[in-house]
Amino acid sequence: MSAAEESIDSATDFQLLQQTASGDRSAFATFVNRYQAAVFRHASCLAGHREDAEDLLQETFLSAFKAAGQFRGDSSAKTWLFHITRNAALRRIEKSKLVSQTGLSLDALAVRAGWGSADPESLAMLAEDRQRLEQALAALPNEEREILLLRELEKVSGEEAVALLGISLAAMKSRLHRARIHLAAILRAGCPGKES
Amino acid sequence: MDGNRLVGDLWCTDVLAGLSEYLDGELPPETADKVEQHLKGCPNCKRFGADMAAMLGSFSTLSQQIPADVSERLRRALSGLKST
Repeated sequence: MSAAEESIDSATDFQLLQQTASGDRSAFATFVNRYQAAVFRHASCLAGHREDAEDLLQETFLSAFKAAGQFRGDSSAKTWLFHITRNAALRRIEKSKLVSQTGLSLDALAVRAGWGSADPESLAMLAEDRQRLEQALAALPNEEREILLLRELEKVSGEEAVALLGISLAAMKSRLHRARIHLAAILRAGCPGKES
Repeated sequence: MDGNRLVGDLWCTDVLAGLSEYLDGELPPETADKVEQHLKGCPNCKRFGADMAAMLGSFSTLSQQIPADVSERLRRALSGLKST
């Protein structure tokens, strides 16, 4: 690796975006490599279909390229990209699809998740099966899947999630709590969607 | 749930409502202490809390990679970009 390549690999996101805004294509390529997987996961979570997710992925980075000079570092670059992805998704996807469709109360979902059972099958054992976990996540309403992946996989802070989703802290915590219980209920049901 | 119990000043339903905040370490210390007291005396809630924590730990097994074909199509889509 050349000194220039090493330098660009160790650059901060802010530096890479500044260099991008100045016309440095290799800086943008490094930035894309850094975040393409996370953006694709977020796009997949919002879109549901792989083709739509790919479109969102490309749209996100095309927009990021054009707006690189506007990034101020007020949030992390990953959250900044998620904002772009989410706005693009909201323009494409019917808003109703982002709204939770499960009418069960939290207590009812929790019972299905094993709350109060004397000796249920271990959730950990069920969730260790990656394919089963992915299927259960896919069966969640979009907004619940989104908050779960943001917090548990992408490690987005609560504050950043609130800003990204445009909801109150209390609403974000409530959505996250319900999403966790709902996921457990789906895992226990064994067949995604059976619990609702 | 059958058997909603009052243990350590909290009912099982109270513990369920605050479980995520407890697991995330976001409860006020006084409330967290009450939850811990409840968990010590309520095997069902203790097991459910541990189970939820373990389930969340399994997220680390999810794929962190982008499929190679998706990455390649993104690279091609961005190859024609010109600075503004």
